[in-house]
Amino acid sequence: MSKKVILSCVALAVVAVAVPFYLEGFWLQTGLFAMSAAIGAIGINLLTGATGQLSMGHAFFLAVGAYAYVYFASEPEGGAHALGGLGLPTPVAALLAVLAAGVAGGVFSPIAGRLKGAYLGIATLALIFIGQHVLFNAEPVTGGYNGRPVPPMELFGLVFADTPELVVARVPFGSLERLWFLGLVLLTGAALFARGVLRGRPGRAMNTIRDHEIAAGVMGVPVARYRAGVFVLSSMYGGLAGVLLALIFQRTVPDYFGLLLSLDYLAMIIIGGLGSVAGAVIGAFFISMLPQLLSRYSDALPLVAEPGSGGVSPAEAARLLYGAAVVVIVLFLPGGLLGLAARLRPAATRRPVPVPASPAPAPAPATTKTPPPPPPSPDPRNC
Amino acid sequence: MSDAYQPDGTDVSVPRLDVRDVTVRFAGLTALDAVGFTVEPGSLHAVIGPNGAGKSTLFNVLSGVYRATSGSVRFGDAELTSLAPHRVAALGVARTFQNIALSPRLSVRDNLMLGRHRLTRAGFLSAGLRLPTARREAVAHNERVTEIAAFVGLSERLATPVGLLPYGVQKRVELARALCMEPRLLLLDEPVAGMNGGERRDMAELIDAVRESLGISILLVEHDMGIVMRLADAVTVLDFGRRIADGPPREVQNDPEVVRAYLGAAVEGGAAESASGDGRVAS
Amino acid sequence: MITFLELLVNGISVGAVYSLIALGFVIIFKATEVVNFAHASLLLVGGFIVARTHPSVGFWTALLLGVAGAAAVGALIEFLVIRRANVASHSVLAIVTIGVDIVLTTELTRQIGTDVLALGDPWRDRVLHLGDVSVAQTRVVALAVAAALITAFLLAFKYTNWGIAMRATAEDAETAALMGVRRGRVSMGAWAVAGALAAVAALFLCVFPTPGLDRGTAFAAMKAFPAAILGGLDSTTGALAGGLIIGVTEAMMSGYQNDLAFLGRGIGDVAPFLVMIVVLLIRPAGLFGTRELARV
Repeated sequence: MSKKVILSCVALAVVAVAVPFYLEGFWLQTGLFAMSAAIGAIGINLLTGATGQLSMGHAFFLAVGAYAYVYFASEPEGGAHALGGLGLPTPVAALLAVLAAGVAGGVFSPIAGRLKGAYLGIATLALIFIGQHVLFNAEPVTGGYNGRPVPPMELFGLVFADTPELVVARVPFGSLERLWFLGLVLLTGAALFARGVLRGRPGRAMNTIRDHEIAAGVMGVPVARYRAGVFVLSSMYGGLAGVLLALIFQRTVPDYFGLLLSLDYLAMIIIGGLGSVAGAVIGAFFISMLPQLLSRYSDALPLVAEPGSGGVSPAEAARLLYGAAVVVIVLFLPGGLLGLAARLRPAATRRPVPVPASPAPAPAPATTKTPPPPPPSPDPRNC
Repeated sequence: MSDAYQPDGTDVSVPRLDVRDVTVRFAGLTALDAVGFTVEPGSLHAVIGPNGAGKSTLFNVLSGVYRATSGSVRFGDAELTSLAPHRVAALGVARTFQNIALSPRLSVRDNLMLGRHRLTRAGFLSAGLRLPTARREAVAHNERVTEIAAFVGLSERLATPVGLLPYGVQKRVELARALCMEPRLLLLDEPVAGMNGGERRDMAELIDAVRESLGISILLVEHDMGIVMRLADAVTVLDFGRRIADGPPREVQNDPEVVRAYLGAAVEGGAAESASGDGRVAS
Repeated sequence: MITFLELLVNGISVGAVYSLIALGFVIIFKATEVVNFAHASLLLVGGFIVARTHPSVGFWTALLLGVAGAAAVGALIEFLVIRRANVASHSVLAIVTIGVDIVLTTELTRQIGTDVLALGDPWRDRVLHLGDVSVAQTRVVALAVAAALITAFLLAFKYTNWGIAMRATAEDAETAALMGVRRGRVSMGAWAVAGALAAVAALFLCVFPTPGLDRGTAFAAMKAFPAAILGGLDSTTGALAGGLIIGVTEAMMSGYQNDLAFLGRGIGDVAPFLVMIVVLLIRPAGLFGTRELARV
């Protein structure tokens, strides 16, 4: 890795660690929310961006992760609206929740392995509807319409809640501050793992499945197995994002995990740049922070108003913006924001673009800024 | 191009390829009609024929992409017709595509490393966690890819995204990728299509070099008669899905059936003479 | 027994409406090879225009405006977005339609808010009694209209120049263009037709016995997706069959909901998707969809 990259990583790390000491709750929550979205986006990117499998069911796996964590970690409650729970230690519950999401993906994966293009996309739509149905109806597990409160995480004796009180460097550390570091660790781990997959043998196979599925098979890649495997991996990322989400909001409600959330994730990877971890993270931060920023500064913005007042609420304004952004980016900027950044870097500091006629071997790009990958090409005509 | 390279220590015994009575029918069309021929181990066998003769269909059957309606393809002990493409690949059958099937945004090296897929094992877990086994494997196979790239003349382009390369070079990358599979049987689908004279000569030399140093069987689909005559040990001619001639190049060249298929109605001996030599027969 | 027949009739009627939506979806796919994820919002556009304009211009004019409006929006999407997307990959175009869907759905649901809009139809809540079976008048009209429209379009596909141009483009766009088919016109026409069909379907999705046009209408429309898929994305016959299957399934499951209470409330809304999955497991290209050549 070049010095520049190491330096920027260190700078980023310092800033990231410093945030809870200087910024208030709103920014922490927004940032945490963005981290969860980033983990989820990395997952859907592995499936749709890198392997070219369109899935509209990602929200389902977030729901599985969130609700499984709540169920595994909660103590059972009796009474009129009995709620079940296994009362497991929270780290175990979290791990099991991620695995549960993986199992859910595994159950669906035979279908995922056999269907192509739009057929897969719409079949994954089924997951959303089935998920919503279960969430609303399986009240003893999910709490139905009202959802359930989320047991805070307890790791090595540290409770990720507002109490017991904790003061670090004279800054009171509530649940958001404590969760911040957990989020950083999870996001970093998730990102590094995905990077490793994409840069290694599986990543090459996945990209070839996206670009030339037949050639992939002919080259020895067991295509159906890979597609199923990536589906499971991507659903585990969704599950992890769901767990983090539950911890942040301290309550799970079924309404959240609907179709629009899945579409949000697709928009994230398109806007950020398909096929790369960095693109997924950028897109996730963009889309998750946009409504929060709009709502925060709604007074200063002409069109944005309070929800229900007849104007455009921040959430709606954000959706309109990034829906339009998806269209614009696909038409004019296929590499997404990441591709735009690569192009805008001043020519002097840009790496020498390898030219076929050059006598010296071109330096292999050592950083993550690989050329933006092509959009996914699962061909909807492939039946 | 550098010197010949040695096979990687994988199973190198090259068996015969026996194609027998292969018929492919779909949507009311008979693409292949009881086609049969044999590729002797280590030989270069060409399949020629006018457009629409079924050559690509044949290749797709051989690599497991199409299922034959009837007939059998035996590669040594193995029966290929019922296998999925990746299982055919596992038997050591590699293939290039007429329309280049490379990933344009990936580097040459990455495309070549895909060819090593069946020879490597790193899965999601070991790749994601960057375990030592995965890393060692990557290093070893990257070295091999460097060797093969040198053999094919791509050493300077290894880091270039394939999409930026000229067409002729991309075709060489396709060939190199197939070689990276350490195949026992190499299927080349129109390797010089779209190339100019100089590129064709280079590619022909390369194919020759592959045959000489590796001793693997090569099955070649081509329209360029010059290359076919120069390189092939045996030629099979297809027309409308049927085999109309089979044998050494000179024999096939003078076969009246072949002449008729390419040039139309029966012509006198003058046509046979003009069909020889290294002119290209346009189809 | 009475209940069963009523459910069946209702199911077929609703199924015919789903077929209308699915048919439009398939037409777009066949003519332009794009999977239009914005189809539900096209439907919403049509219904919304009718709902907003009928107080001032009366129902029939409003209906005409709705149909024309949805057709126009469809054509506009094709012209501005689909045609400009200079990408070879069709899945990317599908994602573009997702972007369009996000924009349209957000804006329309914002305008609708928490209201439930009436469409001002003349059939209101009248119920017909055919022997032992009671059916809402709207349902009978829906079935008749849908059947008429579907028949008209199938005939048009087979016998009119436009239909032949459409089928030719679906088969092989380049050759069709070489034969003189104006590809742009065929594309725009297909999207416009799909919008029009969706608007008509919107009408019947929002009249009695449903309360009216509200935020949930788009989700109701989405049941047409499984209808199109399980029939086969490129098959108009499939769209019909799929629509009917979905409609009947939904009616049956909703009708017997009390007996099937263990499956949860609202099972009727989920059942179409379950049926779709089952069909896809057996036939990955849908019932009538064309599969690729025999691949191992």
